[in-house]
Amino acid sequence: MNPLSIRLVHELITQSLAAWHVAGTVELTGDCGIVIGAKPKIRIAPAQAGSIFRWTITIEGRTRQAISLLAVLRQVRGALDPGYAACRVRIALLPVAPS
Amino acid sequence: MMATELIPVSVLTGFLGSGKTTILSHLLRQPEFSHTAVVINEFGEIALDHELIEKTEDSVIALTTGCLCCRVRSDLTKTLQDLLRRRDEGACTQFNRIVIETSGLADPAPILHALMTDTALAGRLALGSVVTTVDAVAGEVTLEREAISRKQVAVADRIVLSKLDLISEVEASLHDRLTSLNPRAPTTRAVYGRIESDNLFGVALYDPEARVPDISSWLAEAPEHNHSAHDAEIKSFAVVRVEPIQAVALTLFLEALAEHCGADLLRLKGIVNVAENPQQPAVIHGVQHVFHAPAWLSHWPSDDHTSRMVLITRRVRREWVEVLLDAISAEVADVSASNR
Repeated sequence: MNPLSIRLVHELITQSLAAWHVAGTVELTGDCGIVIGAKPKIRIAPAQAGSIFRWTITIEGRTRQAISLLAVLRQVRGALDPGYAACRVRIALLPVAPS
Repeated sequence: MMATELIPVSVLTGFLGSGKTTILSHLLRQPEFSHTAVVINEFGEIALDHELIEKTEDSVIALTTGCLCCRVRSDLTKTLQDLLRRRDEGACTQFNRIVIETSGLADPAPILHALMTDTALAGRLALGSVVTTVDAVAGEVTLEREAISRKQVAVADRIVLSKLDLISEVEASLHDRLTSLNPRAPTTRAVYGRIESDNLFGVALYDPEARVPDISSWLAEAPEHNHSAHDAEIKSFAVVRVEPIQAVALTLFLEALAEHCGADLLRLKGIVNVAENPQQPAVIHGVQHVFHAPAWLSHWPSDDHTSRMVLITRRVRREWVEVLLDAISAEVADVSASNR
């Protein structure tokens, strides 16, 4: 994850908290991580190189993995927004050429 | 033209995402609709519907200045007068029918009221039929939540149940609801926008007295129509991207919208430049949790090849949507680069 992208993720998490009406702060850390100062406190960081996952998310000392930003958002909102009942929708990949 | 040759004006209404444009697009390809002028009203920053209708003649007009029901006295009547003037001057198709596609949030009552009472139009135009589309998948929830959608059903001469391609059968409770709102309107079924009946707009002139009692009161209220209801929670905005969007990024973006916005995503429609197939734009439609498979146009309808998505939402922040697309696109690009 390059610095530009992590700033985008920081902005995404910041906007997501506002969108979900969740109080909290969102800080970038020196090691390309993001800390959400809310209840509970959450840390998001890029996964280790070579991992099939892209992100690690630590919530109250418990670390989970996420394969995409979509999965990160799902876990973060699930932890912060008690009224959140994810509407799990699967959308098939777009055919890249008309059928 | 003889003074007695009134041109019928039909109104195609229905809540956001209920399939109005798809059905209209299908109808306009039929020979019997070749002399039809179309007025399309959209509640959004960018008008897309007129681009989604593959009709290149000059008889399609997009009204983008706001919701039709809020400006019916000015915009609609001026537009219709202008259409008639152009027809008389031979500056456009000699249409013999006008179809007004309202925005999905439009209250049809003031539109009907204007068509029935405007003296400037009365000698030339006659209200034809009112056709209301109802989403067979989300219709029942929409009718429960949205008073406007109930009103749209109640004034209909004919109800079109759309999106029957997405479900095996229509819930009996939806039929019951429609019957209770409008027991006289026959129901037509649409599959992939195709309609069983070829006589969709062919019913008798509108008679407000024949409707259930609520309609008379709605029409009576029309001149004092309160348009602030649109503004309170429902917002429309456009997301525009110059760079093509990768198919995976688009898919993840739509999935995130559906997952996090749910029923608050009233409508999304767009024309997207997909990076893997930039010659042919993908047309996307979404209503609440349901997204249709993209339809691929054979070519771009104009020189504008930017991706343009119009969202009509309730309590959804534009800033979040914008950064969501940017962040997902960046992640997909990152993965693509690392896989090379």
